[in-house]
Amino acid sequence: MNTKEPTITLKDISFSYEKTPLLQDINLSVFSGEFIGIIGPNGSGKTTLLKLISGVLEPQRGKILIFNKDITNIPRKKLAKIISVVPQESHVAYNYKAKEVVFMGRIPHITQWQGETLLDYQISQNAMKKTDSLCHAEKGIHQISGGEMQRIYIARALAQTPKILMLDEFASHLDLNYKYEMIKILRNTLQEDVKCIISVFHDLNLASFCADRLILLNKGKVEISGTPQEVINNNNLRKVYRSHAHIIQHPELAIPQVIM
Amino acid sequence: MKYLTEKNNKYLYGYPNWKYKAFFVLVFGFIAILITGFIGLNFGTISIQPQKILSILWHHNTNDSLGIIIWELRIPRLIMAMLAGMTLAGVGGAFQGILRNPLADPYILGVSAGAALGACTGIALQFITGKYLTNILPIFALIGSFISMFLVYFFSKNKSHLPMTDLLLAGVAVNFFFSALITLLLAVSNRELHSMIFWLMGDLSNSSWQKISIIFLPVFAGSFLLIFSSLELNAMALGEEEALHLGIQTEKLRLRIFVIGSVMIAIVVSFTGLIGFVGLVIPHIARLIVGPDHRIMLPVSALIGAIFLILCDTIARTVLAPTEIPIGAITAIIGAPLFIHLLKRRNENNEY
Amino acid sequence: MNYKNKTNKEKNKVIFTCFMFVFVLFIIANITGTAQDNLFPITLIDDSGFKIVINEKPERIISAAPSNTEIIYTLNLEDKLVGRSDFCNYPDETKDIESIGKMSPLNLEKIISLNPDLVLSYGGFQLKDIPRLRDLGINVLVIRSDTIQEMIQGIGLIAHACGIPEKGEELISQINERINWISFQVMASSRQKPKVFVGSNFDSIWSPGNGTLFHELITLAGGENILGNQQGWVSISPELVAEREPDIILVPTGIMNPEEISKIKKDIMSHPGWSNIPAIKNNQIFAVNEDLFYRAGPRLVDGLELLYEIFNRKK
Repeated sequence: MNTKEPTITLKDISFSYEKTPLLQDINLSVFSGEFIGIIGPNGSGKTTLLKLISGVLEPQRGKILIFNKDITNIPRKKLAKIISVVPQESHVAYNYKAKEVVFMGRIPHITQWQGETLLDYQISQNAMKKTDSLCHAEKGIHQISGGEMQRIYIARALAQTPKILMLDEFASHLDLNYKYEMIKILRNTLQEDVKCIISVFHDLNLASFCADRLILLNKGKVEISGTPQEVINNNNLRKVYRSHAHIIQHPELAIPQVIM
Repeated sequence: MKYLTEKNNKYLYGYPNWKYKAFFVLVFGFIAILITGFIGLNFGTISIQPQKILSILWHHNTNDSLGIIIWELRIPRLIMAMLAGMTLAGVGGAFQGILRNPLADPYILGVSAGAALGACTGIALQFITGKYLTNILPIFALIGSFISMFLVYFFSKNKSHLPMTDLLLAGVAVNFFFSALITLLLAVSNRELHSMIFWLMGDLSNSSWQKISIIFLPVFAGSFLLIFSSLELNAMALGEEEALHLGIQTEKLRLRIFVIGSVMIAIVVSFTGLIGFVGLVIPHIARLIVGPDHRIMLPVSALIGAIFLILCDTIARTVLAPTEIPIGAITAIIGAPLFIHLLKRRNENNEY
Repeated sequence: MNYKNKTNKEKNKVIFTCFMFVFVLFIIANITGTAQDNLFPITLIDDSGFKIVINEKPERIISAAPSNTEIIYTLNLEDKLVGRSDFCNYPDETKDIESIGKMSPLNLEKIISLNPDLVLSYGGFQLKDIPRLRDLGINVLVIRSDTIQEMIQGIGLIAHACGIPEKGEELISQINERINWISFQVMASSRQKPKVFVGSNFDSIWSPGNGTLFHELITLAGGENILGNQQGWVSISPELVAEREPDIILVPTGIMNPEEISKIKKDIMSHPGWSNIPAIKNNQIFAVNEDLFYRAGPRLVDGLELLYEIFNRKK
């Protein structure tokens, strides 16, 4: 359901770490039902932007609104019920079982006293089923390879039953078939409870494939925001990536693809 | 898909119902402590027959010298060992969780060095002034530990943040500095040297019902508070950011665990001296047996710690009777090889 | 008839007198008896400042220090001794008394199992274990002994606690007599005081300075401790010894057989850098029984007399 009111709004966001400015004057809105892709060269501030929206970092200037509420007014636990994040890389300190790691996605919804309910277990298991990681459920997380790990992290993010799903390079270790599967699953969630998805992409072709709208960052500022067709063109590639790659049209879908 | 069909409806697809597990573990652990305690009661300088011990226990007999030995000497000592073991292993597990570091022990944040310096200062003063200060040595130790804890907090605080690596580094630095001061004190002391070294290696020989009544409440209250944070500690294991994403207020959690754990350790150490390796090794054993889920691992760690220390104390009292070995020596002699063995097992299983 | 009456009357008188006599004897005996028992209960303040109430004459005594053990034997209380520390080795009879283990930490189980009425401690490292014993209802007397005067007072304290104050007084006056004689001789003597160094047969040299028993004995016996200006037991460098040039070197040792003594003398004589010291040049090196100087018991006076003899030996 597309409403006029954006799900996420960033107004004049500036962020610097120590004295180095990382992001400047960011303004953007994300609407319900959208799959947003954030792209840009290394150091352009993609991950920083993700961290700002998920509430991990606090901007020096500007406001972030989630469902029209200022993010600084939302208590962290409540925010965790709304937003879940799939990290690019992560290291788990102790050898929890894969199913335990997925189950931790339910933590924002569980109180220590009541403990978890049957429903929580069902949700976790469903999430693992969707990402085809049930067969790894009993394995220790330290014994699991990169690709399986990514699916488990996605499962955990799904188990968190978020309204907003954020991902950082979710497909880098995935096999070709799993890449496709995951994109399908993510898109499906948009039909269910998830209102919007924001993902950081290194792979421009994947971004073009997944996202409804792309935001191209250049040196901490929004260079351009629009559909893949609008954003991925020779001009932008040359300007931002300083690359002379070729852009072709995908044989079946109306999206641009970049080849060297 | 085959996995789905092997399930017990109650536990749903292999997920543990941890409440049942925890209850079973607690009951089993409690019984184990009672049995270990009774075994410990059988040992000492004076040999007393088990039947006699049972009769003394049953009739609460404190009339004759055997009854006094059991009720006033051995039982308080065993209870003290139990409480100390619980605290050290429980707080050790909690610290390893909050710092995401399997090498953390309860002394890592500077508590022990301060307590040691406080106690050694008290002992030195006792000989200088000629006044008899043994009863208030715990107060010296407690003040010392609070000073070192405060220093660690002060040095690692960055505006309103309490960053992890800074905490660890500050703890190491404070430990080094206070240890240097203690070495200095040891070097210029002469007659007090013996007392100081005994304190530094752990000493349960002065346990009494009065001391137990002082530390009983903080230990149990603190343990409950720590176990209450188990879910959050689980989340912390995923990583600082991941924990934030799961709604955990990591700064506050760190402060809470740090304060509760350190206060518990400070209070116990003030009475028992420094007992090492328990806080480092026992949580690993607990993790090996019941897994890293803190909701079960912390209580199990505390229980194993209690049993371990009761056994160590029994050995310390008995092996070279009538001479007593400081209990810290026993825990180190047993703990160090055990730790190395655990390390090798981890490497073989390709765990981190 | 009259005669019979008279005899009966006289008989009665005799019986009555006898009865009175026995009765008076009985009372006298009881009075003198209770005169002894009237000493108890007795309240004492020991050397740790603690007030102790002893209700009855102690029959079972444990001594936790060799100095106290020797005092017990000198006061002829050894039949009441039921326990002693590992280090109590004088006199020889002590080996028949049950040992309570090392002096620190005190083995509380062992002490309690012996059911003592009185425990004699020397203070020091035992101070931390004493409150537990007192809490359990056992009388503990702390006898400090850092000076000769304290040792003498200790004798008095133990004698009072055990109900034989007169024996204590007697022993004390004997000791004082011997000490006073030596003091008088030293005062009256016009010879120069010999410089004395207390060495050791180990590598690290710990030597007694001012405030130690040994120093006190040396001074009383008419010697001058080269470390008199230092406090307590000090670790000193061999250079200091060479610089101070002592006339006499004493080496306290626990083993007093001839081989050990000659070995000690040889070691000192051949110590590097000391060849110019008067004590070495004149062969004034004496191995002495350390128990006479470290143990704060009556044998301190033996040690004092030994020192006096050494200092006044004709060269």
